[in-house]
Amino acid sequence: MARMRPIITAAGFVIALMLLTATASSAADALWVSSEGAILKAQRSSTAAGVADLPVGMELIRLEYEKRWYRVRIPDGREGWIYRGKVSETPPAKETAAQEDSLGGLLGGLTGSSIRADTADTSRSIRGLSPEAREYARQKGTPESCQQALDEVLALKTGSAEIEGFLREGHIGEYAE
Amino acid sequence: MSTDHRSRRAGGPADHRRRDLLKASGLLLTLLATPAFALDLFKIIDPANKSKDLQKTKDIFKGAGSILASTQELDYHSEFAIGESLALEGFQRYGLPIEDAEFQRYINLVGDAVARHSDRPKIPYYFVVVSSPLYNAFACPGGIIFVSEALVKAMQDESELACVLSHEVSHVTHKHALKTIRRAKFFEGLGTITAATLKGRDGQKFKNIIGGLQSVLFEKGLDKNMEYEADLSAMEIAYRTGYDPNGMIKVLEMLQTREKTAQKSGSWFSTHPPLASRIEKCRARRRQYPDAASLARVKQRFISYRKRI
Repeated sequence: MARMRPIITAAGFVIALMLLTATASSAADALWVSSEGAILKAQRSSTAAGVADLPVGMELIRLEYEKRWYRVRIPDGREGWIYRGKVSETPPAKETAAQEDSLGGLLGGLTGSSIRADTADTSRSIRGLSPEAREYARQKGTPESCQQALDEVLALKTGSAEIEGFLREGHIGEYAE
Repeated sequence: MSTDHRSRRAGGPADHRRRDLLKASGLLLTLLATPAFALDLFKIIDPANKSKDLQKTKDIFKGAGSILASTQELDYHSEFAIGESLALEGFQRYGLPIEDAEFQRYINLVGDAVARHSDRPKIPYYFVVVSSPLYNAFACPGGIIFVSEALVKAMQDESELACVLSHEVSHVTHKHALKTIRRAKFFEGLGTITAATLKGRDGQKFKNIIGGLQSVLFEKGLDKNMEYEADLSAMEIAYRTGYDPNGMIKVLEMLQTREKTAQKSGSWFSTHPPLASRIEKCRARRRQYPDAASLARVKQRFISYRKRI
């Protein structure tokens, strides 16, 4: 019986730790930022002032829901509104998020569609096919026109501001009214 | 000062208890926790990283993690190299991009807007309309997405385009094509893919991967459950972006009316499950979006672009 005590103590210790380190919110109150480029707004409107940039994966405390917007509290205590399409009731897959987050991190503020991930690798060029694709084309005898086509496709870049402007003009999502 | 480590470790009851505690913790964690969660807890139990028992347990977790990583996750760089090479084949098979640069920009704006609301929002996506008379769209691993001119011209509004692009983005987020050819074990023994890989002994392996993908995406099609999954993910992505998810159903219904007269081989008709079952599943899912009809369709903008091609 005396030998059991350390084991029981250990079990209790671990369970207590797991409870402590578990997220503070219950399932019903927690949301996670799931979309790229999410911004916490001061009011329930796309034209309201931005309070904070919200990275994918950030956990939020849900306070209320009104007409497609959530009022939330972010980890540093600030509160604001976020369009429902930007958040999820389940956290994003950790493995993928971490791997692809680092791609964005390497490129400074330019992330996602606005720049090719491989620009972080200095042996590659910003535009055009990768060395791998060029080698494949060479071995297969891919017509120049197809290589040129891929070159052009990869060179076409949109930016965050342009995408948001596009959504705004179309009255889509948070820009609907 | 004692330099005998054994005498330091062979301590009194307190040391025994601490060791038992750490051993039991390690055992419980092995049974209950995911590797990532467990590693965080290790820092709390043993912040100074002093326990050798715990260190052993931690090493087991790290090793397990990297084994999992190598069998399940191809690195993005390699995934994209595969996608580019498949895209080169795609242009040969389905034709070159249509020449209207404004239209290509438009399709990238719709595509990038929906991709930001997908499960892989941080990788770059590339969208291209190619001059093919077949009703077709496909996604290369890594995010290069093709849509045929015929399919675009047959649509009625931007929500339909958004749903089709979301469907293709979903194939990329779920890594459907890669998972399909992984079953055929093309990747055995292949590590990170570089230009050197292609030039070396594994060059044929790489070509086999691309050949396998061509067969799946251009001829046989993906597993039907992957297509159903992509249809439903498409509705979710479109909804999150703010488009009417009903656009997915409208496109499928449009294809249904054209099925009898359209060419099948190499198109959505031959590579995808029967339209009736896809429509049925999407209609069932639509109930989860009670305000779908009030979401954006953006007909005017779409028509003004469609007129250009």
